[in-house]
Amino acid sequence: MEKRLIKKDALAGIAKKMAGDLLVWAPVKKEDNVLFAPLGSGDEPFFAYLNSKNAPKNVFFPHTETLMKFTRTPKGMVFSSETNQAAQSVLFGVRPCDAHSFVLLDKLFDQEKYKDGYYIEKRKSTTVISLACVKPPYATCFCTSVDGEPVSAEGADILLTDIGGDYLAEFITEKGEKLAKYFGETKADAAADTKKSEIATKAKESIASKIPAHEIKPILDVNFDNPFWNTIHGKCLACGTCTYMCPTCHCFDISDEVKGSDGVRIRSWDSCMFPLFTKETSGHNPRSSQKERWRQRAMHKFKYYVDMFNAIACVGCGRCVMSCPVNIDIRKVVEDISKL
Amino acid sequence: MQNPYIPYPVIVDKIITEVDTKDIKTFRFKFVNPEDEQKYAYIPGQFGELSIYGKGESPIGIASSPTQKGYVEFTVQKAGVVTSALHEMEEGMMMGIRGPLGNSWPLEFLEGKNIVIVGGGFAFTTLRSLINYMIYGDNRKRFGNITVIYGARNPGLLLYKDELIEWQKRDDLNINVTVDKGDATWKGREGFVPAVCKEVAPSKENAVAVICGPPVMIRFTLPVFFELGFSKENIITSLEMRMKCGIGKCGRCNVGSKYVCKDGPVFTLAELDKLTPEY
Repeated sequence: MEKRLIKKDALAGIAKKMAGDLLVWAPVKKEDNVLFAPLGSGDEPFFAYLNSKNAPKNVFFPHTETLMKFTRTPKGMVFSSETNQAAQSVLFGVRPCDAHSFVLLDKLFDQEKYKDGYYIEKRKSTTVISLACVKPPYATCFCTSVDGEPVSAEGADILLTDIGGDYLAEFITEKGEKLAKYFGETKADAAADTKKSEIATKAKESIASKIPAHEIKPILDVNFDNPFWNTIHGKCLACGTCTYMCPTCHCFDISDEVKGSDGVRIRSWDSCMFPLFTKETSGHNPRSSQKERWRQRAMHKFKYYVDMFNAIACVGCGRCVMSCPVNIDIRKVVEDISKL
Repeated sequence: MQNPYIPYPVIVDKIITEVDTKDIKTFRFKFVNPEDEQKYAYIPGQFGELSIYGKGESPIGIASSPTQKGYVEFTVQKAGVVTSALHEMEEGMMMGIRGPLGNSWPLEFLEGKNIVIVGGGFAFTTLRSLINYMIYGDNRKRFGNITVIYGARNPGLLLYKDELIEWQKRDDLNINVTVDKGDATWKGREGFVPAVCKEVAPSKENAVAVICGPPVMIRFTLPVFFELGFSKENIITSLEMRMKCGIGKCGRCNVGSKYVCKDGPVFTLAELDKLTPEY
């Protein structure tokens, strides 16, 4: 594997240089938040960030996305064009938990039978550069409980680890190697590797928040009707923030918009927290109250996804914990389930 | 690779108003590109997304049988935004259909068996597809006795009236049509579907029951079949849920770990017992 060292203060320059040639998504400061955004000329990437406010899944699965266009004819509206464009892109400096989420989303969007070309094309044409968490950013981080690590190359094409004065850049995949030219010529030595392993071990140990995520699957298998489900949703406002912040939530709506003689069919993020999500035209709603919706969310992450893809649909980023306006904490939910 | 979100363009070839209340119509679509018909090769029990640009899409069971060449039919009740727009369509207009989606009636499993078909009201559409498939030409030899019990609230609400008459003329079909309440001209059977099932009392020997109808009909019909000795493996039904993508991604039609759109809509009662009761 190709490994190089780059001076710490050179990183922003590398991202900016890349942005001259490719579409580069990088963390940038926007008011009080750090968000991933396409790096324009004059924009300054901000790599000393903890984690981005929003998960960067929107790079592959935008909030709203045009699926196709249509136009009016005397015989009715007819299809006019497919709109699946993906530019050669780089997602620069994502945290390993978020890179892990892409691997989980691939399982859904890139299945054998039904392939979601819109997601797949963007994924294929994007190189993911992960920025390891040498210090866990938040007390709410729990990646080690859900198959992740703060210094991990999972889902990454290039992994950057801060080893003191330098970043160690590891070119994990061929896709990553193609960008090696941007990273200077200083080869990394064995000492850098040793340092990285030490840092990785330390970082892993410093994740203090732990949840029994793997233990609850057999419990969920047999507790669909447990009265416990009456105890979570009471204060839930059904705002859907948890699902919008979540790197692995992927539910969407499809709707049409018409302006004059032309229109588009778009898909937009949707949320299992919303009453209308499953409500049928007849008025029947299989998930009729917030209790059922919360059960769906917990079950989907820790049981259904495991049944379907043998993976937990949570990366332990803690965004839902930090963003919930009424302080519902998924870690406590999992903890409570483990005691059923 | 076919983009599963893009509908095949179709022309509304024929519209048949099925019921007196005029809110259920059968739409016959022809493919604008003839080669699409082959791509849309379907099996009875599957469904499609009817796509009206500017309005949206609605998942509807396929009412024609693959043995009917040159077109595909859907019988649709006017209910929401898309189906209301569909009911405003005129012959010759263009729209789209996606699919075929979902699993299907398990034809291989049904082969060589006696088939009991029970339908209620508007849920008869994919059962009609199955019946027309089973009685087409040599297909008939692949199935044992075929018993059909079909009920509607009143004679004006029976679907496919011409076909029902044709089917009744055949001696290799046992057709039992019933209405909850007849009218002055009704000479047929009166009574609820569960009661008629009890009366017809199909044998459980080498038999499979395929049951589709409103929840209240299902609730009272299942005990009749259990009493007749049908096992849960040999009772098959089809579920409906709100859907969007139809290909197991958008996340709203799952019942536990199964997506009704791609793992269903057809399930045996034994399979349903293993699912969470959330449909």
